[in-house]
Amino acid sequence: MNRELIKALEKPSPFGPDIDLSNYVLGEPKIHDKLEVGDDFIKASSRVGLEDDSKLNYVQIDESAMYDALRESLRKYNVRILPLKKALEEFTYVKDLVWRLVRPDLDKYTAANYLYGGELGYFIYVPPHTKVPIPIYSCLAITTNNKLQLAHNVVYVDEGSEVQVVTGCLVPHGIKSGLHVGVSEFYVGRNAKLTFAMIHAWSEGVHVRPRTGVRVYAGGEYVSYYIIYSPVASLQTYPTITLDFSSKASSSSVIAGSGEGVYDVGTKVILEGDSSSAELISKVIAKDSADIYARSDITAETVGKGHVECLGLLLSPKSKISSIPALTSKKPGAILSHEAAIGVIAQEELEYLMSKGFKEDEAKSIIIRGFIDIDMRSIPLTVKSEINKVLDLIARNAATT
Amino acid sequence: MLTVKGLEVCVDGRSIVRGVDLSVGSNELHVIIGPNGSGKSTLLAAIMGLSRVNICGGSIIFEGSDITHMPSYERAKLGIALAHQNPPSIKGVKFSEVVRNLIKRCGCSDYTITSKMLRVDEFMQRDLFVGFSGGERKRAELYLVMLQNPKLALLDEPDSGVDLESLNLIAEAINLLVRRGSSVVLVTHSGSILSKLYRVNRVHLMLGGTIVYSGLADEVIPLVFKHGFKKAAEILGKVLSGG
Repeated sequence: MNRELIKALEKPSPFGPDIDLSNYVLGEPKIHDKLEVGDDFIKASSRVGLEDDSKLNYVQIDESAMYDALRESLRKYNVRILPLKKALEEFTYVKDLVWRLVRPDLDKYTAANYLYGGELGYFIYVPPHTKVPIPIYSCLAITTNNKLQLAHNVVYVDEGSEVQVVTGCLVPHGIKSGLHVGVSEFYVGRNAKLTFAMIHAWSEGVHVRPRTGVRVYAGGEYVSYYIIYSPVASLQTYPTITLDFSSKASSSSVIAGSGEGVYDVGTKVILEGDSSSAELISKVIAKDSADIYARSDITAETVGKGHVECLGLLLSPKSKISSIPALTSKKPGAILSHEAAIGVIAQEELEYLMSKGFKEDEAKSIIIRGFIDIDMRSIPLTVKSEINKVLDLIARNAATT
Repeated sequence: MLTVKGLEVCVDGRSIVRGVDLSVGSNELHVIIGPNGSGKSTLLAAIMGLSRVNICGGSIIFEGSDITHMPSYERAKLGIALAHQNPPSIKGVKFSEVVRNLIKRCGCSDYTITSKMLRVDEFMQRDLFVGFSGGERKRAELYLVMLQNPKLALLDEPDSGVDLESLNLIAEAINLLVRRGSSVVLVTHSGSILSKLYRVNRVHLMLGGTIVYSGLADEVIPLVFKHGFKKAAEILGKVLSGG
């Protein structure tokens, strides 16, 4: 296996620019069972709306993991939160959950994570029939230039349970280069629900390669919110969600590209069980010379429903948005649809708001904020307000030239 | 308050408004009446400073300042507000969001009264003008103008395409606007709202891009209703020339 994996270290991803892993430095993984972060980190984490460190359950700075498994607020729900490495040592069942939804030899990034990551990253387990009303927060940051950060996250929401997980990934201002490879495997049990929000704030020189697999068992529901609003060197991700009988998934992505970055963001859903359904929504805005690919793919192996919507807004003549939807039906009776539109801010709308006394930047900001608005009916108020804060910031940043 | 002198306005290189003079005093209500395509909306767009119209001659003076080439948002800050004839539908932007911004900026204190008067509460959480009926659209747009607490309100066809109930609410709101001290320039082609207004100081008859006659409401409106715009203009023209 290891020989094959070493070979896989040369295997590029079919999408996104290829990155030479040897350009980056990987440190020795460390785990601290105390969660203490400095002021610099707290300041930086405000970029992803997580400046209140008292609510963080897991923090990974470069290759140092810190966690607090005994957060008072979560203790009564018997939720387990600990670094994956420790979870593998403490609970035998965890080994059956790792590298099942994301293959280690998928590409060079997963191979590197498998071989050298030391299984840093978080493990979250929610016991059966437990509705956790408090969101679980984690934050991963690269704080040293040229660093390769590897993280492997596993979430298992057991039968009939519900939980919200919020993860922020970022670099503080001043970090010029780095590579983040996060592998995530999420299991949503029968009739369970996982709401997962991920907010990314990187910088011009950072490459990002998240690899995500999600399995939703019968009657379960997976709700995903993904937001990227900073410049990056490149970001490429294509999570795969597999749906069993009568389960559903909805994914809302807001991709606000800027600088000269390549953003290649997709979601793939396999409708494996009867009556499963999926809705994939992308709101994409591109300024400067950003080059954005919004991919989506729904494959109906059985009778299910799927809808893809991709809306793009070009804010500069040098930016580019490509919407690439794919629908595949292998079963008569499956209903799949997609709609896509890419445009610019309508002059008429801008002129209207300016006549109400808004300066051009303010008017643009209002229109962009409206454009990137996403349906957040099913998520708790605290998470909603954090996401809204980030969306407000995106609209303000996008409107300024 | 407002003095327009020899105004020439072009749209896409075509002359639409020609040599218009208009003078509106403080707390006066003026009506500009004329057929479709006579340049009424273009005149209001030019006074508001919308970028789709191009002022190619003349001047606009507001409270002593020349605003002829000032951008619209600065005119709005000076106290000019326009109720657009066809405000655009803006997906994702909540009506309440624009309301909140205007209340914050303009400090309008009676927004609850006006929202009840114009019955706009019910669509606060809807996207701006998306799927609004004709009456809802006009009421919502007039509400936004009232929130701006304008010194000069430019109302472009607030009475077109609305049902009788909405028409009454809109007239009531315009009367309140005047009572609050605003000057109003109201453009209409149907004149259906005029009988519901408490006070009209002056009526201007506009044809072919020009104001052909300015006079009192009792002098102009009955003739327009009886003979139509052109014939009324001819009759009034004869009066003007002593014929």
